[in-house]
Amino acid sequence: MRRSAALNRSLLVALAALVLPVQGSAQLREVVSKQIAVGASDAELVLEFRDGERLSAALRNGSVVVDDRTLGSFETGDALDAAWRSLLGQAIALENGPLAQAVVDWAPPESLSGEAAEAASALDETLEGVLSAPAADAAQDVSVSIQDGSEGALARLLVGSMTRLSVIEEALEGLGSRLSIHIEEDFDVPAGEVVEGTVLVIDGAANVAGEIQGDLVVIDGDVTLEPGSVVSGELRLADARVVRNEGTVEGGVVDVLATERTDISELRDRIREEIRDEVRRDIRSEVRRAERSSDDGFSLFAPVRSVVRGIGGVIETVFVVLVLGLLGAAAAAFAGENLEVVAETARRAPGRAATVGLAGTFLAIPVWILGAIALVVTIVGIPVAIAWLPLFPAAVAVAAIFGYLAVAKNAGEWLADSGYEWTDWIRPSNAVHTIAAGLIGLSLAFGVAHLVSILPFFGFLSGLLTFIGVVVTLAAFQVGFGAVILTRGGRRREYWSTDPDETWAAAMDLDSDLNASAEAGAAPGGADANRGGHDV
Amino acid sequence: MFDGTLRLLLLPFALAVVTPAPSAGQSWKEVTMSRQLEGAGPIEARVSYGAGTFSLTATPEPLLYRMSVRYDEEAFEPRAEFSGDQLVIGLEGSGRRFSFNRSATGGSMNLELARGVPMDLDLEFGAVKAAVDLGGLSLTDLQLSTGASESIIEVSEPNPVRMSKAEFEVGAADFTLTGLGNLGADRISVEAGVGQVALGLDGAWRSNARMSIDMGLGALEIRVPEGLGIRIRKDSFLTSFDPEGLVKRGDSYYSLDWEEAERNVTIDLNAAFGSVQVVWIR
Repeated sequence: MRRSAALNRSLLVALAALVLPVQGSAQLREVVSKQIAVGASDAELVLEFRDGERLSAALRNGSVVVDDRTLGSFETGDALDAAWRSLLGQAIALENGPLAQAVVDWAPPESLSGEAAEAASALDETLEGVLSAPAADAAQDVSVSIQDGSEGALARLLVGSMTRLSVIEEALEGLGSRLSIHIEEDFDVPAGEVVEGTVLVIDGAANVAGEIQGDLVVIDGDVTLEPGSVVSGELRLADARVVRNEGTVEGGVVDVLATERTDISELRDRIREEIRDEVRRDIRSEVRRAERSSDDGFSLFAPVRSVVRGIGGVIETVFVVLVLGLLGAAAAAFAGENLEVVAETARRAPGRAATVGLAGTFLAIPVWILGAIALVVTIVGIPVAIAWLPLFPAAVAVAAIFGYLAVAKNAGEWLADSGYEWTDWIRPSNAVHTIAAGLIGLSLAFGVAHLVSILPFFGFLSGLLTFIGVVVTLAAFQVGFGAVILTRGGRRREYWSTDPDETWAAAMDLDSDLNASAEAGAAPGGADANRGGHDV
Repeated sequence: MFDGTLRLLLLPFALAVVTPAPSAGQSWKEVTMSRQLEGAGPIEARVSYGAGTFSLTATPEPLLYRMSVRYDEEAFEPRAEFSGDQLVIGLEGSGRRFSFNRSATGGSMNLELARGVPMDLDLEFGAVKAAVDLGGLSLTDLQLSTGASESIIEVSEPNPVRMSKAEFEVGAADFTLTGLGNLGADRISVEAGVGQVALGLDGAWRSNARMSIDMGLGALEIRVPEGLGIRIRKDSFLTSFDPEGLVKRGDSYYSLDWEEAERNVTIDLNAAFGSVQVVWIR
């Protein structure tokens, strides 16, 4: 029983501390933050109190300054300066209460005289005045009472949610200090009776027929004001409702959570607005996307568009073949023998060439970067690096195209040998013919794909042909590039056969074009001789 | 990887900052700032320090922070602001007489942060010699970036709260991180530019975790306590790799006790131009 009473008292103190924070008397103000700055010419103490107020006290450049107000002057290094710095040195290790106490206890040295003594005295008084809590707070009459049987309810309240406690705090803000608390029980004021002070009812009903000389605060409950009843102060409601209001509330009815509800309402509106904007944006982008897709979809102009697009693609392919054909003609004219050597390597070892080409492709960029770094590191190589940076990629591109042309030449020769009537125009002995035929052959898939794309419902076939074209082109580039690397640009023969049987077989395989054979026979390593992979 | 290259390029500037210069004209100031702990709600703490020596520990006192800083008042200004749930601490250029030639090597910052307050911690160092002990702090998120520094980061006690991710961005630095397991992080990423990096996977791992390490030009040492299962997926270029105590299966290196280990850590390692070494600690 005694234990329960002691617990009850403890809980009451805790509740009082929670709901009446200011009224808990304290001799010194609570310091929430401090700043101590010590330099050659200044020593400053800045304190921030619980209520947000700040105090700045400094001895700076010969002046004693409190909150930008000069109280007097001092000599740097004099007794006041030393005593103040000593206090700050001590204050570094102190916080809150002990810190405030140390500052209040600080006294200027007695040896001071004249203006320094006056300034020190003013500083001391100011510090004590600011750090002492207002006297009125301590003098307030705090009286908290609780009804019998509410111990468990009080405990539940105190260990309950912080939100509820904050509501209580908000509901009691600014009210008188004399407080009567009723938790989870009804509170009645019979007719003719007078209750003094603030009444707080939590989770209960307040039935008033008499008079309350003070405020009535109801949280999570009902209020009934019988006819003739009087509340001299305010009737504050938090999550509470007035069942009947036939009495008089002189201070008016206050909805404590109205602001919060307004905030929630505003927040709700804002969220609604944001969602609406978001939905609008989504709808707009969907509409735009739909418009774009309708351009590509079925419409009256779709067949015309697909024809234009298909023919455009064919023209594009033809243009590319023409450009590469011109490059091929130039290569045959100016580097015919190199082209031949590369083509021979690509023909005889396509797998090896493709592997080397693939490796070369992947290593090109690292080699480019490392080469540049190596040249830059050597300092002397910096001028070379300047040339290296643009020339290396250009050389790689030239090598790749050269290799591709060599592969095209092989493809052209294969077409010439195929025996199809439509390949009769290809003269195997003429490198330009074979290169052109090869380029057409390698690009055929692209051209057909564009033509097929003109037709409706053949999109899949067009895509498949495009894919085949890409694979063929990539393979040709890899094989050609690898052959260029293997033969050092056609300057080194990878396959120079000396086997007489192979040479004879190659000779037997020669094209019937006598002129061409004659040319090949006249020039060892010529086009026809090498087609079989031998030098005749 | 690009960050690493960028840091490499910025190295001369960072070195310019730390290069000692004549101390004439400097005016040193010492400031102590602290704030009482109010509530235990989560906060976001951002700490930045440009040059000097830095230390960070958890405070045993009921304080949100305590900072002692020594700085050149002609060039810097200390900053400690707490508003709402945002804590900003640092030393900023005052804009008065800042120059790269001014020495800041005599400066220091000793910071203590609250225990028990869940915080997202963002540490940003320039040319700093840092000793950081994150043990005792309740970290929900951690981001640490260093410039040209020598940093020793220790997690001496297990983090009492779950950390979503820990990110370390190391510039040109000697960087040692121990007690990674104590962080309690689901994901850990380390991006290192140039220098020597040692990562200690010791500590109390609460669950399996993933690590990603991007190493630029330098040496990386991964210190693994026995009993912890590790798996390393390596993607490297011109990097030596010493997988001591690991076996290769498929595209990954596994510790021998990978299946039996109570906790497993998967490391995605991306390295170039350097060395990677796995060291077992007993």
